[in-house]
Amino acid sequence: MSEIYDIGYRHYDGVRLGRGHSTRALAVHSLRGIFGLGRPARSKIVPFSLAAIMMLPAVVNIAMMALLQQRGIAYSGFAVVMQAVVAIFLAAQAPTAVAPDLRHRVLPLYLSRPVSITEYVGAKVAAMTVAVFALIAVPITLIYVGELVVDMPGPPATGEYLGALLMALVLAVLLSAFGLALASFTPRRGLGVASVITVYLLSSASVPIIYATLASTGDEAGAAWAWLANPFWLVDSVQHWLFGTPPHSIEGDYPSGPVSALLVVVLIGVALLGLALRYRKAAAR
Amino acid sequence: MNTVVAGITYRALLGRRRIILLLLLPLALIGLAVLFRVFGNGDQRTAVLLLQNFAIGTMLPLLGLIAGTGVIAPEIDDGTIIHLMSKPISRPVIVQTKFLVAASLLALFAAVPTYVSGWLLVRGEDGIAAGFAVGTLVAGIAYAAVFLLLGIVTRHAVTIGIVYALVWESLVGNLIPGARKFSIQHWGQSIADQLTDSPFFKSDVTLGFAVPALLAVTVAAVLWAGHRLRSFSLTGDE
Repeated sequence: MSEIYDIGYRHYDGVRLGRGHSTRALAVHSLRGIFGLGRPARSKIVPFSLAAIMMLPAVVNIAMMALLQQRGIAYSGFAVVMQAVVAIFLAAQAPTAVAPDLRHRVLPLYLSRPVSITEYVGAKVAAMTVAVFALIAVPITLIYVGELVVDMPGPPATGEYLGALLMALVLAVLLSAFGLALASFTPRRGLGVASVITVYLLSSASVPIIYATLASTGDEAGAAWAWLANPFWLVDSVQHWLFGTPPHSIEGDYPSGPVSALLVVVLIGVALLGLALRYRKAAAR
Repeated sequence: MNTVVAGITYRALLGRRRIILLLLLPLALIGLAVLFRVFGNGDQRTAVLLLQNFAIGTMLPLLGLIAGTGVIAPEIDDGTIIHLMSKPISRPVIVQTKFLVAASLLALFAAVPTYVSGWLLVRGEDGIAAGFAVGTLVAGIAYAAVFLLLGIVTRHAVTIGIVYALVWESLVGNLIPGARKFSIQHWGQSIADQLTDSPFFKSDVTLGFAVPALLAVTVAAVLWAGHRLRSFSLTGDE
């Protein structure tokens, strides 16, 4: 630890907790900010009401299992069915994680301490990932607990549940890397929200139309590639390939093979690279 | 209408990255229309599907949100609105000017691309292209007014606007027919329905309800926004 000036103040002689600790502290702080904890009540309304909306189908599912002895939404299809809510959460909260630091130009302050750009970006992505993962995983887990308590006929769908959890994690990494990369291009929160949701809506509104057009020419296999342009269906196709769950696209199948998994890895890499480059530039201002 | 304020607002909206967002959706709409044309689906059913679901259903609320909040929210965020408000310009006039700027941008970035994509698919058949263009224009003006008001009332304008457009208009409106009565995009569709006689398109809201509703919402939003700005207090960010 270097001192620029020693003007006679008392030195810090406590424990030096190191870089890992500072990165973790930054991640926890960002995570709390995403859910509005430690901020005024107005900042809590949006994240918590979206989380409550995510819980609604879980409650309905448990009620269906208890009263009608039948399953509602499958674990594997939960994220795809609720994609609009997850996307709104990502769009609304990703800018709160990155915009204030860019806006108030405090990055040089962070980086003058032993926190490097990699650690800063890593902490932000980790916080957003945990938030999105919790948003998807908590309702799924609730349904699973409900299934165990209700004691449905037949064995519980443990395998499908665990697979859905793993895919929720992959989806969370993909979404947060992309969401933060888009949001970090502007120091304005409103514009960040708008740009994330625009990119999501472009993929979600156009993909079914493109699929239907291509399929109408008779090329079903070629048309299936259209689904991979939307992150939720892309991750669902990885799940379909890994665990053999039924595809949750609106209609038709996914392209077979590991291409979609490869695409996910490439996309995450591109988004993280974009973030790192963006912050290298932002840090210099 | 104050031309200097209008000029500043145009520069702020078109001179920065915001214009990329404003261009992205209309280009996607025209791209989809070209795709349909190439794959030989240029019939009335696809044209109506594209214009109803993508142009009015997805593109218009988002563009309305970006333009409507974009004319005023960044200035409030940055605090530069204080320079504008300390000038001897009536605040309702500032709001009306900014509303006109947002409405003109929506006409350029929403109504014109809607007409172009409709024309690409079915040319002038049954007035589909013209009808949807007018519907988009009218609904866009109402969106501009409402989201301008939202941008003055709250700092979470974009998030609230997205929740309104996606959850209320799309999700709830698709499930509960009664909710469509209180949705700007369905009022726009009602206008579009009046101008086309395509058998593939039928709107759920009657014209007798849509026209007064559009007028009332637009005028009330602009007036209220002007009133809010008259007694505006700059509060600190959270």
